[in-house]
Amino acid sequence: MHAYDYSSDEILIERFKEGDEFAFDLLVRRYEQKVYQLAYRLTNNPDDAADVAAEAFLRMYNSLKRFRGDAQLSTWLYRVVSNVFFDFRKREARHQHVPLELPTEENEEPMELPIEDESVDILGHALREEQKQVLMQAIQQLPEYQRVMVVLFHIEERPYEEIAQILGLPLGTIKSRLNRARNALRQLLEPYRELFGIESSPTVGQPQEATDAL
Amino acid sequence: MHCEQVRNLLNDYIEGSVSGAIRDRLEAHLERCAECRRELQFMQSIWRGLSEMPEVAPPADLHARIMTHVRANVRAREAHQRVAFWRWAGAAAVAAGLFLMGFFVAQSDGVQAAFGFGGKSKRVAEINQPVPSGVFVQYREVEQGVRLPVLEARMNRAATAELRHASNSLHETELVWRGNLEPGKTVEIPLQALLQASSQRVLILWWSVEGQKRVLFVPAGYPPAKVATVRLQAKLSDALRQLASVYQTPIEWVPNGEEPLVVLDVQDATLENALHQLLVGSSYTLKRQGETWRVAGQ
Repeated sequence: MHAYDYSSDEILIERFKEGDEFAFDLLVRRYEQKVYQLAYRLTNNPDDAADVAAEAFLRMYNSLKRFRGDAQLSTWLYRVVSNVFFDFRKREARHQHVPLELPTEENEEPMELPIEDESVDILGHALREEQKQVLMQAIQQLPEYQRVMVVLFHIEERPYEEIAQILGLPLGTIKSRLNRARNALRQLLEPYRELFGIESSPTVGQPQEATDAL
Repeated sequence: MHCEQVRNLLNDYIEGSVSGAIRDRLEAHLERCAECRRELQFMQSIWRGLSEMPEVAPPADLHARIMTHVRANVRAREAHQRVAFWRWAGAAAVAAGLFLMGFFVAQSDGVQAAFGFGGKSKRVAEINQPVPSGVFVQYREVEQGVRLPVLEARMNRAATAELRHASNSLHETELVWRGNLEPGKTVEIPLQALLQASSQRVLILWWSVEGQKRVLFVPAGYPPAKVATVRLQAKLSDALRQLASVYQTPIEWVPNGEEPLVVLDVQDATLENALHQLLVGSSYTLKRQGETWRVAGQ
């Protein structure tokens, strides 16, 4: 559409520094999906996620003039999103309202299943849907820092080095804390073992390996 | 290797960062121990579930919402800076004026007339028919969907009024404006500077006219949402603030001393529906006044 629609981030940032608001608009378009994804994973709520994204881009607007390009813009934005998320949570903690319990199995929402296609594994699909929900809920129960790390590593698939940059922590710290976060997540998921294809009690045994109990 | 040592290494193992002799011993243990094998499968399944999490579709108005937020704040900050400048300039002018006046007072008693001080102020035209009185939230379109909230206060009789801003709780308020409302005259109070200062999505304003108090929840001015899914359990005031935020529509609350704990769980509901459900069984009634919804105690 525009002559510098395909320009690199650096060029757009330069243009913005020179007062070109359109360059900022383009940068927002380029990253809003990514930013929203991360914000959504952290908040598990579309409205809060849009708020976090909007605030992150406002902070970008306010500090882009000082952006020196030491890190990738996306890394830097992830950092801003994490900080906005931490700030929002702090502010929320001051308003002490009690949220309702998260939806549980009793919430009978008719699940739309693609039944017209015989080859589709309907039960498997339903299980995976439920698994996703349970995973998201478990993530929401992690402390903020652990949540950010799990989302960045496992869902956004950022490498350790980048997460270290995003959170401003040494690599070793990231690795050990992430391990702790995974173990916490695993504990939270303990009641849902069966959803992950694991029999809950060892006495039941796995059908494929029932003889291997020793 | 013991089970516990193995469990501590499972994440690293899945990741492929265990190697050499440790890896061999770990695998030997896994071969023997069904429990640890199950644990490994569980962890692998969690890892897989996380990495297969599908992308979520952002709301259709995401870009507009981001740009509105950015522009509104940038403009509000500029306006704030201008106000600060004029405040400074005004103070300087007053100081200069006082100095001049002192000079003139020393010279002559007729100075008041010369400066127009103490002269008869223009009488406000008496109005015959009553106009709707009260406080109204108006949104001014600034540009490309940027809306800024302005309070308009008008009365059909003379009254004193006060506007306070509650930053965190309704009990900690800060005076924003105090003045007289004259019949038939509208007072406008722009809110962008407040919005900038508080960085909240909804301003909590405490408006009192001659001792009568009401609370206004004024959203920052994103495009209003028609329907929304809301779950909450909160005190009434907090619930109303949240609804004003979700729907980006101003809500006025006239408390009657009771603040019930309310529960709401609606899907794709309009604000009207949500408010109706929220107030079922309470001593509050609902009314619409222009763009604002009004929740008044009986």
